[in-house]
Amino acid sequence: MSILTDLRIAAVGDIHLGEDGRGHYRRRLEGIEERADVFMLAGDLTRHGTLQEGKVVADELRDLPIPAVAVLGNHDYHSDLQDEIAEELRDAGVIVLDDDGVVLQCGEKKLGVVGGKGFGGGFAGKCASEFGEREIKNFVAHTRHIAEAWKVALKEIVADERVVLSHYSPIKETLEGEPPEIYPFLGSYLLAEAVDTAGADLIFHGHAHKGSAKGMTPGGIRVRNVALPVLGRAYGVYCLECEDGF
Amino acid sequence: MEAPQYVAARVQQALAEDGRTNELGIRVDIRGDQLFLRGQVSEAEQRTRLGQVAHETAPELHVHNEINIVDATEPGEDEHLD
Repeated sequence: MSILTDLRIAAVGDIHLGEDGRGHYRRRLEGIEERADVFMLAGDLTRHGTLQEGKVVADELRDLPIPAVAVLGNHDYHSDLQDEIAEELRDAGVIVLDDDGVVLQCGEKKLGVVGGKGFGGGFAGKCASEFGEREIKNFVAHTRHIAEAWKVALKEIVADERVVLSHYSPIKETLEGEPPEIYPFLGSYLLAEAVDTAGADLIFHGHAHKGSAKGMTPGGIRVRNVALPVLGRAYGVYCLECEDGF
Repeated sequence: MEAPQYVAARVQQALAEDGRTNELGIRVDIRGDQLFLRGQVSEAEQRTRLGQVAHETAPELHVHNEINIVDATEPGEDEHLD
C-alpha cells in the first residue's frame, strides 16, 4: 500500500516592495502557515534594488512561521547592492539562494530547493550564442555559468522532492502574453536544459508579468510562472504529491 | 515632427530607467496627440508616478493612464501536482 502526503509550497515572485510598502505586505501573509509548509519568493522583491527597499522586504518577511526561501531578480541588482540585500534577508531568517541549494525538513519529507536569479539569452533555435563581440559572449556565458551551477547543485542534493527557484524563465510557454521580441531578455533554455539533465519535480520563476501561469520543460518538468501580476493573488499554493511506498 | 514610434520608445525607456518608476512591463501606444499607458502594477502610487514620468517625457501629448492595479489579497485555490 502507499500513503500520499502533500508537500505544500506557497510561491510568488515580483512583489516589488518599495519604501511605501512597509507594513502592507506582511498582512497578506497572515495564516500562511496553515496553507503551506514553505514559502518561496522568485525574485524582484524590491523596486530599485536599494538597501532601504531591501530592509523593507527583510522586515516584511522577518521570522515567518514557515521557512522562507528566496532568490533575487534583476530589479534587486539595479543598485549593485544585491549582496547587501541578500544579507539583510538572511539576517531576517530568509534563506537566499545564489546558484546553490538547500534542503528543508518538511514534516517527514526532505525538500531540496536549488536556484538563483537565472538570466536571459533566449530559447532553442532563436537565441544568442557565445560568438562575436565580447559583450554578447559575456551575456551568454553568464547564463551558461548559472545553468551549470544549478545542474551541479541539483545532482549533489539529497532530498525526497526537488524544486528549482528562479527569477528568469527556463521555457517560453510561460512567457506567452509577453511580446515575443523580448523573450531573450526574459529567460533562457539553458536553464531548462540543466534542470532536465539533473532532474527536478517542479520549477518556479517570475519576471514575466504578462506571461502565462503554466508550462513544461522539454523533459516534462512542470514550470509555474508565479509573478504576482500573473497569479493575481498574494501567492499561489502548489501541492507536490509525495508517494510513500510500503 | 518625431515619429510616434520613437516617442513611445523614449517614454517606455523613461518608465524603465527613471528612478521613481523602474517599471519594465508597461505598454506605451501613441495615436495622434494621445498617449496610452497599459499594464499592471501593485500600487496606486506607482501608477500615478508612471503617468507623471510619461507626461514629463512627452509633455506635448495627452496621457491616458489605463494601468491596472493588481490587488492581491487572498491566496486562492491550491494546485495539486500529481
